Parts: sequence; C-alpha cells; structure tokens
Amino acid sequence: MGCGSSFPDRDSRQFGRPNTENGGGQDARNLRVKLVLLGDSGVGKSCIVLRFVRGQFDATSKVTVGASFLSQTIALQDSTTVKFEIWDTAGQERYAALAPLYYRGAAVAVIVYDITSPESFSKAQYWVKELQKHGSPDIVMALVGNKADLQEKREVAVQDGTDYAEKNGMFFIETSAKTADNINELFEDIVDYATSKLHHDVLAA
Amino acid sequence: MSEMSSSEHDSESSILLHLPPLSQSLFDAEPSDLQQPNGSAARPSSDPSSPTSSGYAPERGSSTATSVSHVEEVLSNEIQEITIHDPQPLSHSSWLPGKRHGDEDDASISWRKRKKHFFVLSHSGKPIYSRYGDEHKLAGFSATLQAIISFVENGGDHVKLVRAGKHQVVFLVKGPIYLVCISCTEEPYESLRGQLEIIHGQMIVILTKSVNRCFEKNPKFDMTPLLGGTDIVFSSLIHSFSWNPATFLHAYTCLPLAYATRQAAGAILQDVADSGVLFAILMCRHKVISLVGAQKASLHPDDMLLLANFVMSSESFRTSEAFSPVCLPRYNALAFLYAYIHFFDDDTYLMLLTTSSDSFYHLKDCRIGIEAVLLKSNVLSEAQRSLLDGGMRVEDLPPLPRSGSSHLGQHRVPSDSPERSREPDCGVGGAAGLWHFIYRSIYLDQYISSEFSSPINTPKQQKRLYRGYQKLFASMHDKGIGPHKTQFRRDENYVLLCWVTQDFELYAAFDPLADKALAIKTCNRVCQWVKDVENEIFLLGASPFSW
Repeated sequence: MGCGSSFPDRDSRQFGRPNTENGGGQDARNLRVKLVLLGDSGVGKSCIVLRFVRGQFDATSKVTVGASFLSQTIALQDSTTVKFEIWDTAGQERYAALAPLYYRGAAVAVIVYDITSPESFSKAQYWVKELQKHGSPDIVMALVGNKADLQEKREVAVQDGTDYAEKNGMFFIETSAKTADNINELFEDIVDYATSKLHHDVLAA
Repeated sequence: MSEMSSSEHDSESSILLHLPPLSQSLFDAEPSDLQQPNGSAARPSSDPSSPTSSGYAPERGSSTATSVSHVEEVLSNEIQEITIHDPQPLSHSSWLPGKRHGDEDDASISWRKRKKHFFVLSHSGKPIYSRYGDEHKLAGFSATLQAIISFVENGGDHVKLVRAGKHQVVFLVKGPIYLVCISCTEEPYESLRGQLEIIHGQMIVILTKSVNRCFEKNPKFDMTPLLGGTDIVFSSLIHSFSWNPATFLHAYTCLPLAYATRQAAGAILQDVADSGVLFAILMCRHKVISLVGAQKASLHPDDMLLLANFVMSSESFRTSEAFSPVCLPRYNALAFLYAYIHFFDDDTYLMLLTTSSDSFYHLKDCRIGIEAVLLKSNVLSEAQRSLLDGGMRVEDLPPLPRSGSSHLGQHRVPSDSPERSREPDCGVGGAAGLWHFIYRSIYLDQYISSEFSSPINTPKQQKRLYRGYQKLFASMHDKGIGPHKTQFRRDENYVLLCWVTQDFELYAAFDPLADKALAIKTCNRVCQWVKDVENEIFLLGASPFSW
C-alpha cells in the first residue's frame, strides 16, 4: 500500500447519493445498482466495462487514472430494467488507499483477476479481504476470471476460482472481454444472484 | 553552491556579446530518436511476468505497443514529409507516447547515443524513472549518479552541473528525490534545470509531496510501483519540452475566441465556482478557453501545464467521465485535490477541482449544466473552428499606424496586393521577413504564439526555433549578467529578436537576411497587433492568478 498515508479522506465521507445507498432502487421494475470493479492493473477491468457498456474491445488498453464512471441500463427477461452505475477503478498501487471512495455505498463489487496471472489472483483475494473488513456487510461480491480466451496461457485453474468464490460466498464467472464471452451474463447473473441473496428490502421494494 | 565547470557562463556570454554567426552546433537540431538506426531494432516486449502486462500481444500495459511502434518508426520519415502542411503546427504523428526503447540499458550503444536522458532516483540510489531503458536494469547507473551527488554533499556542497565534452549533466536535489539530465543538446543549464523542476512537479501531481515520508520511514523505499502506468505522462511531458513554450515561459496560452464566446464560458464556470468548486477550467488541448477559481484560490501556470499534460496524456479520461485525485504542486504540494474530468469532444475538456472527495455527483451535475450552456452558446463548435482556423499568422500582420478595432485574420492581404509588395525582403513568412513570434504578457501570465509560417514548418525546425527561444529566455533572465532589455542575434538559421519591458516579453524570429531596423519596426507592429486583438487571444479580467 506504499504511501497510503498520503491520501486524505480515506475513511471519512460516504460516496454517492444518499438515496442510492446500497444501490437500492425504489421500484422492483426499475432497479438502480451501484457497482464497483476492483482488481490488479492490467487484468481488464476497463475492457469488461467497455465491452458491456459500448460493445467495444480495444486491444491497446489505456491505463485508468483514478476511476471512470459509466452507466448502462439493461432489461432482464422479466422486463425489469436495471441501471448500472459503474465505477471502474484504477488498479495501480497508488490508488489502493482511495478504493473506499468508490466501493463505499456500492451494492455490488466485481473483483477481477487475469486467468494467466497468479499474482492478479492473489491481488483479487486481497480485495476480497479488504471488502470483508471495510466494506458494507450487505455488499454482493463477484469474482471474475478475465481473459478466458487465453486458455493456452492459463495459470489459474477454474477450480481455484470456483473454490475461492464458494468459500467466501461470492458469485463466480470467467469472462473474455476480447471475445465478449460471458460479459453480459456477468451483469445479468449478478443481479439475479444479488436479488436471491439479499433481503427483499435492499434491492427490491 | 559550486559548479564543477566554469565553462557554463562562457557559452552564455557568447550570446550576450552578439557576435554572429554563432557556431553551427549551437543550433544543431537534435536528430529525432526515430531516426536512430538502433531505434528500429526488434526488441522483446516488456517483461511478460509483470503484473501490469495484459497478456495480449499488442497491448503492453504501461510500456505501450512495441510492435506497433516498430512499424511506425520505419514509416515516420514518410509521415513527416506528408504532414508538412498539416494545420497543426506540430504534427504529433511522428511522436509515439509512452516509453520507448524499454529493453535498453546503460550497456546498449543505442542508449548511450541518446541525445537527452532524464533520470529520477532516490537518495539511496534506487532508480525511479528513466526516459530511455528499463529503470530496473539501470540500478548500477543510478547508484553511480547517487554516488556523485552524495560525494559532493559530503563535502558540504551541492553539485549542479558537470560538463564532459559535449555533454552536460544537470543535477537537481528535491529532498529524498534526485533528478538528473544528461544532454548534448546545447540547451542552457537554466533550461535543463527548469525541465527537471517540471518533471518533479509532475511527480507531485501524481503522488503529492507526502511521498517523501515513505523515504523517512524506509530510506530504501522503492517508488517505482507507485508510479505504475505513468510512463506516458512523463514521456508526453518531456516531449512537450520541445514544442510547448509554456514549459519555459511559465505562462499559459488561450485558444483564440471571440470575446463574447469566452465570456459565455467564463460566466457558467463562475456559477459553478460559486457552488463550492475550487477551480473550474475549460481547455482545448493545451490552450485555455476559460477558467475560474473560487475566492482567494489562485492557480499557477506551471500547475496548469502539469494538470493539462496529465489529463491529455492519460487516454482513459477520453473514454468516460472520471474522478481522480490530483495534486497541484504550486497550490498545495502536500494534499490531493479531486478532479472531475470530462471530455466534450476529442479536444475540449472540463476539469472541476475540489477539496472534497465525495463531490463526484455534485460535479457531474455541474458538468451537465455547463455542457448545456456551452452547447447553447456554441462554445464547443467555436472552439473547434478556432482549432481549424489557427491563431495569429505573421502573414496577417497589419501595417502601422493602426486605427479602430481589429480582429484576427481580418488583415489577410492577398499575396499580389501592392501593400505586400512594398515590403522589402518579404519572401515567405510575414512583413520584413518575420517568421514567427511569441508575446508573453507579464501582467496576465499568458502568452500568445503565432502560427508557424512556411519557412518553419517541420517539427524539427520548430524544435530548433524553440531551443533558440529558450536560450534567449535563459540569457535574458540570467540573474548574474542580466536583466536585459533587447537582444538581436543573427545566425545562419534566423535572426532572433527579444524585447523585454515591464509589461511584456516579445520573442521574434526573422529571415536570417532580415534588416535590423525593419525587424525592430516590425516588432512594434506585432505588439500593437497583439494589443488590438487582446480581447480574443487573452483571458482578461477576474483573473484568479496571483502569486
């Protein structure tokens, strides 16, 4: 965490609008979900978001600075619309101390690692522990193994991801932002998962 | 304070004696890196085991696309040829952002041949940043630099400059952080030291000065992970030393706009500033459209330069709105501010700075309000038009005496008009062989630079001219032998004329055959012209700038 002390306000104010606390919308047919992506730099957080929000994939990925804010509305099969307000955070070490700014008040935390990088899997576990310690107890966590298209370079077994997610009560999926594999599923399923997991009054009115 | 060489002032005095022609090497253009034969050698991508590497071949995390750059390097000569008439004065097509030559180290011949190195290291000798080559492979070299600095410091002194043949080694010590430039570009010591100061400022923008505390806790602290992914910010800054006069003038420049358009932008920014925003800045590339500060808050031009470079070089800001901590070193080097950043289009962007880390949604609402007004008042389209039209052109310089009001571009004279043919030595460029000028208003801390005219239209020529201006700036501001009021210097490339008064500084470049008396007369015309159009080229009144 290096220079954590150089970041002020790390544990003070609430981030986000009061009425979207925990991401709860007022109407079961119109949900608003505040979602934050966390994970090591270079695992593809921005690529996942851009694939989901804009349907694009840019191989010349750009390093995220601070955090980017994007939103996307999807319709579920039961005609519920879900508006995702997404914080795509920077993976660099210097921003780690700022993460509470973005994950506080989030209903869903998506923790991403790269299946070709064991280091990024360890970093994902760091984020899980951080959220268990400092995050809202109601936060729904998803573990995502990205770059699933790079099978030949895989260094983190699917089973390792599944096991870790199960042990920590997390939703798990492997995705590829490059091929778009499981990207929409990630966001759709996370809502299902959250609705079934959470108390009725948190996500749905 | 001691200098390890006394020859530094010799080179300065040769300027002030006004003895043309100066030696050719003084203005030798620095050959572009792209032309280095070794630069195009195939090289491996960054370390694949690095956690920042993405695993996909064409995207190499912080070290940028190496395979792509190889192709573009080969093509770069052709690209430069084609872009001679590019409306942008400096074609960026030949410059690739991010670290290049990442595989080199101090044993590589190609690395040793680079004309200008920048290094940042810690007081324990650990590498922090190197313009060329992999920092980690340069540990031994960093240790050597550290040894030189501490050897002199142990003697109760400070090393500022070492000369070794054509090379200058410039040192700057900033607490536990050491910055070193090794250059054979013949730039004055003051310019190089100023560039090191700016690099240090950029580091503070990213980390604040409280990073120094990490070294107090652990002298062997490794700072490189904290700067992960910022190579592109520093390479873009270093690149700007050769094209952006703000890096040595310590002033900012505005996008030329009709007075009413800029007023409209300023008014809405003022509304936002009144609602608890510290600084509201609307910019188009590196030029200011308008900016407003909360009461008593003042913004230094150097902070603006660093902020604009940070935002412009970080591609992710263009993808979506963002909220990021930034530090303004001249405002408060110890604390972060929070910046809301939004690009309205490829060029025009808004930065709203606040001290409060939880104001994202408020700032987002502010931006929505601002955007509505900017669209309604056509500010964004006017900005685009101004970019296309460009600013002041030496060819449009109106004749003296002036009467009535004047507007940019109003005086464009057809090349066959009798008025133009009266001017002797007109040739290319403007009147009396005027090729280019920079006018810096001391009171406003703003400058205006003319568009480059046809004799100076390649990036290489422009870089050479800026180096000439930098030399002038350094010699005019030399505390030991200055200050000076005017300087007229002729060499085989051009005549450079500098005129410093209490209100402004004028730097002008003329045809090398230009007549001195006529050149001086032309400078008067330029000053009058700038005054005539100051409404459009400067941000006037209610300036939050004070220092």
